[in-house]
This record gives sequence, C-alpha cells and structure tokens, in this order.
Amino acid sequence: MIITDVLCPFCGDLCDDIIVEVEGNKIIEVKEACETGVSKMMGHERIAAPMIRENGKLRETTYEEAITKAAEILTNSLRPLMYGWGSTTCEADKKGIELAEEIGAIIDNTTSVCHAPSVLAIQNVGLPSCTLGQIKNRADLIIYWGSNQAEAHPRHMSKYTSFTKGFFTKEGRKGKHVIVFDVRKTTTAEVADDFVQIIPGDDYRVLSALRVILAGAGDVVPSSVGGVPKEKLIEIVDRMKSSRFGVLFFGMGLTQSRGKPYNVANAISLVRELNAHTKFAVMPMRGHFNVTGFNQVCAWSTGFAFAVDFARGKPWYNPGETSTVDVLNRGECDSALIVASDPAAHFPRKSVEHLAKIPLIQIDPCPNLTTELADIVLPAAIAGIEVEGTAYRMDGVPLRLRKLIEPVHLSDEEILSRILSKVREIRGD
Amino acid sequence: MELLITNGIVYDPINQISGEKVDILVKDGKIVSGVKNPKTIDAGGRIVMPGGVDMHTHIAGGKMNVGRMLRPEDGRRCIESRKKLTRACTGYSVPNTFATGYRYAKMGYTTTFEPAMPPLLARHTHEEFRDIPIVDKGGIPLLDNHWLIMEYVKSGDMDKLTAFIAWMMNATKGYGIKIVNAGGGEAWGWGKNVRNLDDIVPNFDITPAEIIHGLAEANERLNLPHSIHIHCNNLGHPGNYDTTLATFDLVKDVTSHNRQVMHATHIQYHSYGGSTWADMHSKADAIASYVNSHDHVTVDPGQVMFGDTTTMTADGPMEYELHMMSKRKWTNKDVELETGSGIIPIFYSRKVSVNSIQWAIGLELALLIKSPWKTAITTDHPNGAPFTRYPEIISLLMSKKRREEVLKGVHSAINKRAIISSIDRELNWADIAIMTRASPAKILGLDKHGKGHLGIGADADIAIYDISPEEDDPRKIQSALSHAKYTIKGGEIVVKDGEIVAVPEGRTYWVNPEFDGEATKAMLEDLAVKFKEYYSVSLANYPVQDAYVPHPVEIKTRCKNAS
Amino acid sequence: MFRIRSKSKPGVKMLVKLTPKKAFNIPVEAEVIKPGNFAGKGKSEIESIIVWQGNKEVMLGSIFDVEVEGVDDKDKKKIKILIEGDASRIKRIGERMTSGEIIINGSVDMHCGALMSGGKIIINGDADAWAGREMRGGEIVVEGNASNYLGAGYWGAEKGMRGGIIRVKGSAGNYVGEHMRGGEIIIGGSVGLLPGLNMSGGKIVIEGDAVLPGGEMKSGMLVVKGKVLEMLPSFRFEGKEVLDSIELKKFTGDLARGGSGTLYINSIPEV
Ligand code: SF4
Ligand SMILES: [Zn+2]
Repeated sequence: MIITDVLCPFCGDLCDDIIVEVEGNKIIEVKEACETGVSKMMGHERIAAPMIRENGKLRETTYEEAITKAAEILTNSLRPLMYGWGSTTCEADKKGIELAEEIGAIIDNTTSVCHAPSVLAIQNVGLPSCTLGQIKNRADLIIYWGSNQAEAHPRHMSKYTSFTKGFFTKEGRKGKHVIVFDVRKTTTAEVADDFVQIIPGDDYRVLSALRVILAGAGDVVPSSVGGVPKEKLIEIVDRMKSSRFGVLFFGMGLTQSRGKPYNVANAISLVRELNAHTKFAVMPMRGHFNVTGFNQVCAWSTGFAFAVDFARGKPWYNPGETSTVDVLNRGECDSALIVASDPAAHFPRKSVEHLAKIPLIQIDPCPNLTTELADIVLPAAIAGIEVEGTAYRMDGVPLRLRKLIEPVHLSDEEILSRILSKVREIRGD
Repeated sequence: MELLITNGIVYDPINQISGEKVDILVKDGKIVSGVKNPKTIDAGGRIVMPGGVDMHTHIAGGKMNVGRMLRPEDGRRCIESRKKLTRACTGYSVPNTFATGYRYAKMGYTTTFEPAMPPLLARHTHEEFRDIPIVDKGGIPLLDNHWLIMEYVKSGDMDKLTAFIAWMMNATKGYGIKIVNAGGGEAWGWGKNVRNLDDIVPNFDITPAEIIHGLAEANERLNLPHSIHIHCNNLGHPGNYDTTLATFDLVKDVTSHNRQVMHATHIQYHSYGGSTWADMHSKADAIASYVNSHDHVTVDPGQVMFGDTTTMTADGPMEYELHMMSKRKWTNKDVELETGSGIIPIFYSRKVSVNSIQWAIGLELALLIKSPWKTAITTDHPNGAPFTRYPEIISLLMSKKRREEVLKGVHSAINKRAIISSIDRELNWADIAIMTRASPAKILGLDKHGKGHLGIGADADIAIYDISPEEDDPRKIQSALSHAKYTIKGGEIVVKDGEIVAVPEGRTYWVNPEFDGEATKAMLEDLAVKFKEYYSVSLANYPVQDAYVPHPVEIKTRCKNAS
Repeated sequence: MFRIRSKSKPGVKMLVKLTPKKAFNIPVEAEVIKPGNFAGKGKSEIESIIVWQGNKEVMLGSIFDVEVEGVDDKDKKKIKILIEGDASRIKRIGERMTSGEIIINGSVDMHCGALMSGGKIIINGDADAWAGREMRGGEIVVEGNASNYLGAGYWGAEKGMRGGIIRVKGSAGNYVGEHMRGGEIIIGGSVGLLPGLNMSGGKIVIEGDAVLPGGEMKSGMLVVKGKVLEMLPSFRFEGKEVLDSIELKKFTGDLARGGSGTLYINSIPEV
C-alpha cells in the first residue's frame, strides 16, 4: 500500500509530502524525505515490553503492573518532575498536563534545554514572524544565525528558503541572498553567499553593533566587533535595509551561547527595527517535530509555554527555577517521568546524577541512555507512524500526523491516561 | 433530565416576553411545553434570560495563544487552583482555555464565537475549542486576503468564488466570512497597507471595495446564516469614520434573506473624527445615525475599558502602528496566501485623552443606536478589555449616574471631543437581554438554530441572575451579572451561586453550504496549483479533520442560483 | 558576621525566632514568613501556619523550632523575625513584606524579599536568585553573595524593581537589576553578565567588575567602579566626570534601542 502526503515525525520542519510504502504492517520504502527522515521512519530498535527494575536489573512485566507502580511513585512524590514531550502528539501532551495538575508536578519539555531562551526573549520583546510559506514566496534575504540546518533540518533550505521558488521568488536561489552567522564554517555556511564568523560568545555585541548602525549611531561602533570588521557590519545593515523581504532564522548557536535569552531578544529587536525600513521576519529553528506543539498546548491549557510548577495547585512559571535542568541540578525533585526524550544522553552530568538517584519512569518507543537509569519502562507506539495525532511545525502550523502501521504498544496518550486513572484510584477519587 | 424554572421574571425578546412571570420547562437539553417529573428551580422573582451569546470574542487559536506566550505577566494574574471539577485557571486578558469557559459560564454566557480564524491555522482554533469547557463555539475564517479570493473577485468569477468559499467552510469547519482590513493583509506581506477603499492591493490589482462587495454577494449566494463580518479598513485612525460609512454604503445594493448583509465589528475603533490624535473626536453620532436609518448593517461596539489588556487582530499593519507608538513588545504573524496578525499589550488610561474618548465612543454607540436589535455588547475581547468586564459595561449602559461617576475621573478632552455626557438614555433589562442574547444570536443567524431565545424547541441555555428587575443600583447589577445564580447549558445546571457545578463539553457550529456547480471542479484545479506551488503544506493535509470537531453542529445551506 | 541585636533594642516589641529543625532538599515555600503575618500570633499559632513543601502543605512548626518573645501590639513595624540557621532551601522569605525586620543567620533560597514594599531583611549569608524581585520599597542587605536576577523583574513584565534599596557585600550573578525602574542596588564585589539590562530608572553601583553593562538600557544610572571586562559597542563616550571622588568615564546608551541611560565606568578593555 502506498500512502501519500505523510508527515515526517522527526524535525521541526514537519515535512508533509512524504510517500510511504507499507507491506504487511511494515514500512518498506520512504520517498521524498531526507536521509534522517527516512531512517527515522524505517524503524529502530524497540523496547519489547514494559519493564520494572528489581535488584538493579530490568525485568519484563505487564502494562498493568508497570502502570500501577508508576502511579504509586507519582502519587507518593512531594516534587515529581514530568519532562520530555519533544516527539509525541499534542494529545499526549494534554494528558500529561492533566496528570501534572492532578499530582502537583512540574511539567516541562525539551524547550527547556534548546529554545527556552527564545520563549523568554519573546516575552521580552515579541516576535515579528510568519509562516514558512510566506518566506518561500517572498524572501529575498535569508539569514541563518547559529543554526546549521543543513544538518539539523535537512530539507529546510530546499523546501522553504534558499533553494525554493515561490510566487514572488520565481528566480529561486539566483534571486536570493543568503548570509550565515556562526562561530565556525558550517555546511550551511558553505552554500551561503556570505559567511560572517563571530568570536564565540560575542553574538550579543555583534547584534548590538548592527542595531546601533541601523539606528544611525554607527559612529560609536569600534572598528571591529566580535571579530567582524565594522565595514562588514555596515554592508550587512545596508543589505538588510534594501531587501524586499528579509528573514532571520536562529538556532541553538544563538540560544545557547552566553547571554542566552538576551541574545535572542537582541536578534528579535534587530528584526523588529528593520521593519521600519522593509519587511523582515524572525523565526526560531525548533528541533524536534513537535516541541512547538507542547508549548502550544501548555500555553493554552496552563497559560504558560513550558516549565510550569503545579505543586501548589496554582500554576507557577519561572524558568531558571521551574525548568528541568535547574530542578535537577538543585536536586529538588524526588521522582521523574520522562516521555519521548533522552535526558540521560543530553543533560549536564549533575542533572543526570540526580535522575539516577530518584525513582525514574520512562515512556518511550525506543531504548536509550535514559532506559539504563529508569526504574519503570513503558514502551510506547511511535507518534506519526503508529498513532495519529496533532503536531505543530516550527512556525506554529498545526498538522495531523498519520498512522501508517498498526502499533504493538499503547500510545503515549493511552499510557498517560491509564496512569492518571490509577492515580485517581489510589487517591480514592 | 427535566427542569422547571418557576417564579422567574423572564426576558425572552425573540418571543416578545419582556419581564413576565412565565414558567420555563426543560427536557433533554431543549425548551419544551411539558415535563413529567422535573427538578424545580424557584427563581424567586429573579431575572431569567436565555444564555448569553458573545458574537465576537478572540478566545482561541494562534493569536490568543501567541498572546499567552507573549504575556506571562498577564498569565500570573487571576490565578485559581485546580478544584475537584475544574482545571487551574490563569490570566486576565489572555486567559487559558479552561478559565475562558468557566468565566463565561459564571456570567451566564453559553455561546461564544471566535471571529478571526486563519484558515491554515484553523486546526489550532478547533483544538483550543475542545479545551474551552461548557460553552458552544464557532469560528469564522478570515478570507478576504486569500489569493484565490482576490483573484476570483478580480476576474469576476462569482461561481468559482462561491465554490471556493463553500470549500473553505468545509476545510476550516468555519461558520462564515470574516473580512479584516480587506487587502491590507496582503499588502502587509510587504510591510505596506491599504488605507482607503479604492487603494490598490499591491500585485493583485484589486481594491478593498471590490473584495468586500464580492464577498458580500458570495455570502448571500451561499445563503450563509451570518452576513459578512467585517473589521473595516483604516482601523484606529483619526478621521476614519468616513471609511466606515463608505464601507456600509458599499453593500447597500446587496440583498439578503431577512437579515443584515454586513456586520461591522468593534465599530468604536472606526468612529473617529479629526485628522490627528490631537483633534481626534467622537463620530459615534454619524455612525449611529447611519445605522438608525439603514437596515442592511448591524454593528457591535468593541467597548474599551480602562486598564491593561492585550490587543490582537488580523490587522497586522495596525498592530505595527500601535507598536511604533507605544514601543511595547510586538508579535506579528503573517500567514502565507491568507492573512496575518499582530499582538501587542496596551494600557487604556483614563488620564489619556484618546483612551478616554475611545471609552466614551463605545458607550455612545450603544446608546445612540436606537434599536438594540442592530447591535450587541462586545469588547472585542481582549482588545478593548477582557470579556469579564461585560457586567461593568452593562451597568454603565443602564445607569447615567454611574457614567457620571466615571466621567469625573477621565481626561477632560472628553467634554469637547465626545458626546457621552450629553446622553441621558439608560438601557433597560429588555434592551440588555436583546444586546447580549437575542440580537447577537440573530445577527449570527443562530436564532433559527435554537440560540438566543427560550421558545419551544430552543436549546435550554438559560441564565438566572440574582437580581430583580426593579433593582437599579449599578453596582448590584454588575455583581449579579458577574456571578449568575444559575447557568443552565443544554439543560444541565453548570453554574450555581456563581460556582461551576458541571463541566460538559460545548459544541461547535459550522456551516456546510451545498454547492455543486461545475465551478467546483475548476476551482479545485486552481486550488491544487496554489498548494503545489505556493503553500508550504499539501492540500491533502489542509482540511480540518473530523477528529478536531467532536461535537459538531453542522448547518447546511443551499446555494441560490448556482450555475 | 553581623550579630543579632538584642530584642531589648528600642523599637522591637516582638521577636520570633525560627530555628530550622533539619536540612532538606525539597524547598519550602514560605512567603508566610514576614512580620505582618505573625502579628497578633503566639507560638502555637505561628507553629500551625501552613507552608508548602513540594506539593504538600506542612506546618511551620514541623520545619522550625519556634520561639516567641515579647508581645505584639499590632504595630507590625516592631516585629522582628530571626531565622537562626540555614534557610537555603526556603523560598520566598519576606515576599510582599511591608514592615518590620527579618534577619537570617544563614543563606536563603530564591525570591527573598520579592515584591517587598517596606521593612528590612538582613541575610547573613548568600541569597539565591530573584532576591528583591519587583521590589517597591524597604531594604535588603546581603552579607554574602547574591545570585542571578537580583532586584530583577518577572518574565514578560516591563517594570522590575521600582523602589527600595538592596546592598550586597559580596558579588552578584547575571542580570542585576534587570528591568529596574527605580530604587538602588549597591554591590560590593563584582557581577556577571549584563547588569542593568533593560533598566529604565533607578541606580546601580558596582564596586567591582562587570561584563557588558547596560544592555538595552533606556534610562537610569549604572556605575561600574572596577573593570568592565567587555563593553557593548552601542554606548557613546561623553567625557570624564568625578563621582564619589573617583574620576570615571561617562557613557550614554544603549543607543541600539535609542536609550539615554548613563553608564559610568572606570576602565574599559582594550579592543
Ligand atoms: S527535513 Fe526534517 S521533517 Fe523533513 S524529512 Fe527531513 S527530518 Fe523529516
Ligand atoms: Zn476582533
């Protein structure tokens, strides 16, 4: 069976033009996706069955037992943490948030360690932005800042930016100017017209310099800022002002370098001020396919995009305090539920050490480093391959993930909803 | 479940009941003429009305959520814990979805329409609808800046235009046609705007006037329950009342089946005289006199109330202008081929002349428009103020004394540049029942689908307020309207003594116009090209799937003279 | 170290001494610890005041040994709270405090003195992040070091600290006085990144060093008497001026946002 217009459940580009061939409940061919997408969709090693750790070793068990144990742990915790949600459906996110409310947990997603600074910056200055199609049809100046999407979002340039043609961009690549700002010459930089190398940690100063030049007070700018000669900065500002439609994409090179949210706020402010001269948009390059979706669901159901602490019943939002790595580094939480994410592989050592100390529940389709620390492992169906559901592309466009084959395991949503019922049962409501 | 509401003083304007003691019987979610074994509610001389209908409130979808993400400092206001029945609530001007449903229900409202749904993001709006408990909802898609719409209007191809709108209602599960600053959204794609009805939309060789007229005609061909719903061009500019009157006049020749052909929303923002902010003044009298002498237009005021709130509209260039004036944080989001939006916090200060005049204009419009059937009470939530301030607004409309109290503390410019202090009219309960229930339901065309009245067969959406009609203390009025004694939704008691006691899921109204002309096929070919070449999603993934509308109320219409 | 002033000091009518019973990891949220809240209460009443630890409510008496000396005459100004020991896992001490005095002989957790509008808090130890957040008045003294976001605002809010004074004897972290609009912050040591970020009023004096001072500064006054380790490229040099008997270089900015704040610095890095 051939299934068309399939969504790729991997990166924030959320490509929806994939063609998949299925035979005997197995995906045998994936077309149109990039290599990363193909390999994700073709399948991975899976967790075979629910497991519980006993005497230091995981043993297989039933969903019933694992879910009961998980519910007991969560019910008895004073400060449970629920983290992950990068690669699951909004329907699962909703259940997760309901569970967090019920047990008085902190709920947080992978935004916390990638684009939290973007969210915080937006709260500071806003975000003049647009959908990706707007860029495809209009943009003649494309800037990537600290974002190597040639690797992280392989089809980004061919679908939405540099190499695509749209209504007002019929010339394609020829009619566009591409600038890359980064601390090293990335693969993205290699296909750009301009590469601007910045001394690591100096993004903030370079952005301030661009803004002060734009504001007409360039005389105060020294001859070189962050390793970039002043003439180059002036040239770039002129190019920005004379573009018809410019866009600045930024990635973790900007969000995770020194001054985090304020780098991003500075970049957004630059774009905002450029709107006095021409049309300019700015967009965070979000990583996992539905990391944006969690922020959306969390915002409409709790009022805040991530890092929400329900301990006192009233939601309290304070990244830096209620964000996962901070909670773990301070050793605040006494249990954790990790959904569709692998913190053990990506977190700072101190955080992982605390995760190893506390009762840890994992819900994931695939074994990963976090599995090795987990006390309870609940295998899940893969969102977008074995379960339908909603995902939000990096620009906030919501799309429906398809179900391509029958799952063996329960979905994240179903597992969470059973945990929630169990919790209610234990508490006698 | 059966209910008998007895001893209530009922206001049901659609059925010509105005403050009479009549029993109301409820069975299976509807108003009925007989019940067997009902639970009795003794209303004890209190006021009973149909459930409130808010025809224009930005409660769900991309914009509102952007607002929430933009403003955690607003989110931390009005916080309430989770309770046994209810989820945690946050936010004042950008409330979370749960708070939105509960707060409406507590005010006796049972139907709320989101009037600005970007088609590409309609799925998002519907997702949030699912998480707004209790109230019924509907979403009106933004269509005026859509490339295909502009192309069809330009080429005069009414069949394809009609076919495309019909397709869009299905694809977005939408309720009607929303127009926002016609043509301005596309111009804003280049950082530009259109000001006047005859300005040319860049690259599309079409004018706002043509778009508006074309859509009004298509709306009537499709027999949609609601008329076009328009946010006029030139919002918020001194002297814009001219554009507003010209917009009204534009559709005078369009005929409809027994309702308005244009609903012009948040008209307060469109009733300004003068040429700069220094001489900006109220033209509410000019606008009201037009509305009083014509039957093809209805309006809602979009009342401004003093305090902090968040503005959000599809009028991207206007929000940018606001940002340039206040320099406050600004979010913009243009949507490919379709529309855009802007969001910015605002503080309406009684010490600022313009804000004081804006406050006055909203009230003036509501008081100068003679027939309450031509208007409705709105704040364009959250643009003028959050909807939770309706009770206060109603008390102002019902009490000149209260208006005078407020007038003492506002900017003195109001004396010369607004009319409010010269208006003596005080609305009565019948007027209020019309403007908060019967009229918005009628304007939306929902009266024929059981909303806004308590006749036999109507939805059993009922509000009982802890006040009797004789009571004229404005503060008592405000407090009674803020905390309904009872709110009944679909025959179920959802609020008792101002507290939520049940949380059913609301339904979603959408319109399915039947249109099977030849034009549909040709239109679909055009559409396929748009998706292949210009959209960033594929056509197959665009329409909102049924899964997003779990409790639909589909209203079918038949097209007139399809060729 | 600062010594506790005797309760017999004129002006103090009631002394509430809280001695932490044991160390714990899960923080206690104790905005209830403020003089106004203890007024008119005896030992057992104070012990039964509820605080949160994680998602459970516990009584203050289970966290602290409570001793009460003297009687309150309802004049909140004359109530003094003494926390005798480590409070580095106790958040929100003195939040929204309006009067009286709190002395902590140890360190405190986040949000100490947040939103306070009067009275005085003395921390004989370190203060974790957001001390004096959105402060309106009163005084906070940190004998040790302060962490990030000292005297800062809340996420998304355009106004942070609006009044009062914060003195830190040691150093402070990043973003001191973020969105500050009024009041004064004095740091004896050095600070991290971007002090005075987005400030639009008030005064910050840093005796030690700072990195990138004054980003997004709109107005107000920021003084760095030590070294500016890195300087923003968006400030204009206006000349030299003598301030507190030291000659300093005066700059205005942040011109990137068209700001007109005043930044005084002693030495800038070579570029
Ligand atoms: S670019 Fe991203 S979404 Fe598209 S196919 Fe590759 S991995 Fe999948
Ligand atoms: Zn509106």
